[in-house]
Amino acid sequence: MSQTDTLPPSGLKQLWLKWRFHLNILLILIPLGFMPKYFADASLFRGDSGLGANIVEGIQVGRWTLDLAELRDEAPRAEGPAGYFKAFNAACTSCDEGVKATYLRVGKPRSLRAAGTIFFGAPARMGTSLPIPPRTRPDADIWITIEGWDGKMYQAAVPLAKASPATAAWLEKQGGNK
Amino acid sequence: MKQLMRRLALPLLALAATPALAHNPMCECTEHGEQITCKGGFSDGSGAPGVTLDVIGYDEQVLVASKLGDDSTLTFKRPEGEFYVLFDAGPGHVVEVDHADIGAP
Repeated sequence: MSQTDTLPPSGLKQLWLKWRFHLNILLILIPLGFMPKYFADASLFRGDSGLGANIVEGIQVGRWTLDLAELRDEAPRAEGPAGYFKAFNAACTSCDEGVKATYLRVGKPRSLRAAGTIFFGAPARMGTSLPIPPRTRPDADIWITIEGWDGKMYQAAVPLAKASPATAAWLEKQGGNK
Repeated sequence: MKQLMRRLALPLLALAATPALAHNPMCECTEHGEQITCKGGFSDGSGAPGVTLDVIGYDEQVLVASKLGDDSTLTFKRPEGEFYVLFDAGPGHVVEVDHADIGAP
């Protein structure tokens, strides 16, 4: 007894009305595709999948021994106007005694003031973001400096090509042009 | 109008959420004749007034010990010999600029 005859909806409208509910399910499924990456990242940051990539074990710095690893096996990342950075992790279980601070720098530090970037976090897993000057030579060393509570500096060097082959390859490609 | 506002609300909110910015120290030095001007700052765009900026010789002698002015810059006369500029915002927050990297803008 309707007063007007309802017109059948157009083809496109019909399709929309029929499938719009199913679209919701698709929207729930999309995030599932990102889950493996999410869990891999979570385990990396928590330390469940180790210190990182290309771990250099047993670096002797003074009376301490530490392990160094890059967070990811990849070239340095551009971080805006401050330049290129590379994330490194270090583990030093013996560092809970006598160590005031640990630093990382490309090339030998000139002084304690210029010892480089500082490691933060617990000694068993500390991290830092190392600036990589684009004109660094691919055969450069990265220097670990430990500042002891005795006021002295303890240092050790690791070839950059060993600690981060991807960074050395990236510098090789840059060719010192930048 | 109300309809339009409703439609635009979510995209606008999404744009308003700025991503977390890194806070890395930066320092740039340029040469103007005999004078060198250094400008310090942080990569999130903030300035660095009052932060220590020292000019140190290769023999570790401090040639100029100063702090950045209100405009985050410091101008000084180019010292003789080899030196580097140390922007020192605290342990682990330093930038070194070698004299060989300081040129005309």
